[in-house]
Amino acid sequence: MSDQFKKDLVGLVPRLRRFALSLTGNQADADDLVQSACVKALKHEAQFRPGSRMDSWMYRIVQTLWIDDHRRAKSRGTQVDAEDAGLSDGGRAARLPEDRMMLARAQEAMAALPEKQRTVLSLVAIEGLSYKETAQVLNLPLGTVMSRLSRAREALLPQLGMTKGPMQ
Amino acid sequence: MTVPTVMDKDRLAAFVDGELSPEEAAEIVIHLADHPGDQVYVDDLMAANEALAQAFSAPLQEPVPDPIREASMKSPQADTIVPFRRRPLAVVSAGLALAASVALAAVLLPELQRGSPERIVALGPVPLGSQLNDMLGTLSSGVPVTLDGGEDVMILATLPVENGFCRELEVVDAAKDRLDFGIACHDSDGWTVEVMLSEPLSNADLEDGFVTASGAEVQSLQPFLERLGAGPALDAKAEAEAMAQGWVR
Repeated sequence: MSDQFKKDLVGLVPRLRRFALSLTGNQADADDLVQSACVKALKHEAQFRPGSRMDSWMYRIVQTLWIDDHRRAKSRGTQVDAEDAGLSDGGRAARLPEDRMMLARAQEAMAALPEKQRTVLSLVAIEGLSYKETAQVLNLPLGTVMSRLSRAREALLPQLGMTKGPMQ
Repeated sequence: MTVPTVMDKDRLAAFVDGELSPEEAAEIVIHLADHPGDQVYVDDLMAANEALAQAFSAPLQEPVPDPIREASMKSPQADTIVPFRRRPLAVVSAGLALAASVALAAVLLPELQRGSPERIVALGPVPLGSQLNDMLGTLSSGVPVTLDGGEDVMILATLPVENGFCRELEVVDAAKDRLDFGIACHDSDGWTVEVMLSEPLSNADLEDGFVTASGAEVQSLQPFLERLGAGPALDAKAEAEAMAQGWVR
């Protein structure tokens, strides 16, 4: 097991925690998910193709573990932790009350999305992956990524107090 | 009031998401100048993206938590391993014939049904005293075992079902480029392998979906597990207790 692999893995942890937080809705579950993903990545290091993108590989592991965990605890649903609802950074990211409310609404709106839409929206809008990269991470056709993204935004925007989309 | 617009909102979203070429993006910019309804939607999408990015940004400003750092810098511990469900290529359920129209599965079927002596996992009752029977009965989930033949075996999870327990296991045979996956369930007669999956190891994590005995493609093992009434995987302590009680509920 190479030290560089481990260092690269640690370097990805902040982004993996962000992705996991967007999936789980609370930091404790997100950290459990990331920790499990790191363990799994180390165990399956041989499956990682040198030269390919490690972040995409890790996003996929996190997402797969999340689905697995979600199946096991299907009744639990996504819990938005009040401590995490825009406040987990001590408010540094949003000093104005209206900004903090917007962040809390964004977290709640994400949690309310169906899991598949939430995952796609997180990878595109938060992690900054292209549609093609998202399709590769999730092993989905490009069209499926786009349709899930569209449906996610259609549900999300009104909850953020925004338009539902232009009239066609 | 929403202003009527002309452009497809997916194309506007693609513009916001940076999916368009510079030339296409430039066309959108010019278009937006004359279409306030589209401009409002683009502004909303950008604001939503920004709100989402900020809402989940806290981990970027925090140090890596110690448990995660430790997990990333050392060899995995058995108790911390969470089952990682693969998406195997072919599945065969005990006692059922595989649809002949599924070419690849049909190729695999004869070998699976024969229960090739080379395979660790084979459909049907697990012989008492066999290596597999011993592993199913006494091996904790997440503990890797390398057999004399070089195969790596691991019990992935123990799931409580209505009449007892089922255990998921995988066998990786790197020399033969083969990954076998099985679900064995315990009843009063002992262990029986109920499901058998197989795929080339080089295809692991690449192929999507598997084929049921009825020939219908599905995306995961969840339907099968649900038919068994499988509950959440046992944690290490509960699994140890079940093991100590001889897998009797």
